[in-house]
Amino acid sequence: MKGIEKRLREEAKKLLETGSVSAVLAFRDGYDGDHPVPFAARDVSDADAIVFNEYCTHNLARYVTEYEPGTKIAIAAKGADSRALVVLIQEEKVKRDDLVILGIPCSGMKDARRGTVIDEATTGNTVNPVIHDIMLADQLPEPDTSPYSVLTDLESRGHDARWKFWRKELSRCIRCYACRNACPLCYCDPCFVDQTEPRWADKSPSLESNLMFHLTRFYHLAGRCVDCGDCSRACPMNIPLYLFHKKVAKECEEMFGQTAGMDPEETPVMVDFKVEDSDEILL
Amino acid sequence: MAFDPTILGIACNWCTYTGADLAGTTRIQYPHNVRVARVMCSSRINPAFIFRAFELGADGVLVGGCHPGDCHYSTGNLYARRRLAVTKKILDFAGIEPGRFKVTWISASEGHIFAETVKAFTEEVRSLGPQTKFAVTKGNDQ
Repeated sequence: MKGIEKRLREEAKKLLETGSVSAVLAFRDGYDGDHPVPFAARDVSDADAIVFNEYCTHNLARYVTEYEPGTKIAIAAKGADSRALVVLIQEEKVKRDDLVILGIPCSGMKDARRGTVIDEATTGNTVNPVIHDIMLADQLPEPDTSPYSVLTDLESRGHDARWKFWRKELSRCIRCYACRNACPLCYCDPCFVDQTEPRWADKSPSLESNLMFHLTRFYHLAGRCVDCGDCSRACPMNIPLYLFHKKVAKECEEMFGQTAGMDPEETPVMVDFKVEDSDEILL
Repeated sequence: MAFDPTILGIACNWCTYTGADLAGTTRIQYPHNVRVARVMCSSRINPAFIFRAFELGADGVLVGGCHPGDCHYSTGNLYARRRLAVTKKILDFAGIEPGRFKVTWISASEGHIFAETVKAFTEEVRSLGPQTKFAVTKGNDQ
């Protein structure tokens, strides 16, 4: 991790010195070393503040869409960040040429709030960046575990038991929208839930309006969610949103045979179709 | 009194709605439980419509569109097929019985098939009982 931090600072300095990018998206220390926060280094003097350790879990692809189109940005991208960037490129929210992707292979990252190791139980566990311009460390072996094995228990339960589970979880939602704000792919302005005409869901938390918000959000991320797990880590009520996102991603993979965010040349599955799609997917 | 389900039908203007019309003009009897809303194409359907219908107390939702390949707009129902398939999986994982949501292709000349589909779907939803999960204000299991 220290080696990556050193290389990250060097590359950031180089890029900012030559003026080839206007910002380097990375991390700096928060109130202590164990709580890093996302940071945009805009000047060479900022580069020394950049840190990278096992708590740097935020998906930085979330900040790319905040810049004016055409702004050149360098971004420190872990496995899931790079997949989110691929989806943003597919959706033409950002141009590949405007990005300098500093790839960081990493595993064994830790959730700063809970202190637990982040693995395939809560995320897609993508270890190596799928696209990069500069790699900051050697590629690591990809794990052979399935990110979907955590679903087996919930899938095997009946509909009533699943409803009980989600009712318990989703009725806790306080509608702070931390999940949406942490998500690199929730870039809509305005979000459907902020619209007043039509008013898709009530603003105040209640089980009905929470369901409306979350189910529609799960749908909006179908075939796009890269399973970075940032929504669940951001949730102050510890709602396991990743379970639903994993389920939708798994179904999309099975039905349409494409994993989200792997190849910038692909079209996201929900804005595409195949004539040979079977009607069996509707059963 | 026997349970009388409330079902939202969403029918595309060019095929299923015209098919429903044909069922009416040829005087085929079918249950009155389906309230049909007309959309210009099955791809007009935002999955949030379906979540919202269940939230507002629908016991079932029936979506009808043109047969794949016959879409008035060439490809609309091919997009809709993918969208509604994902919607179905989401409802299923959230705990809504899959029998409460059905997508079917009915052409403008298939009035009798429309009537049969509505009959079969109404009976299926009737056997599942009232939908009290999403329709929390209507249910009493809180």
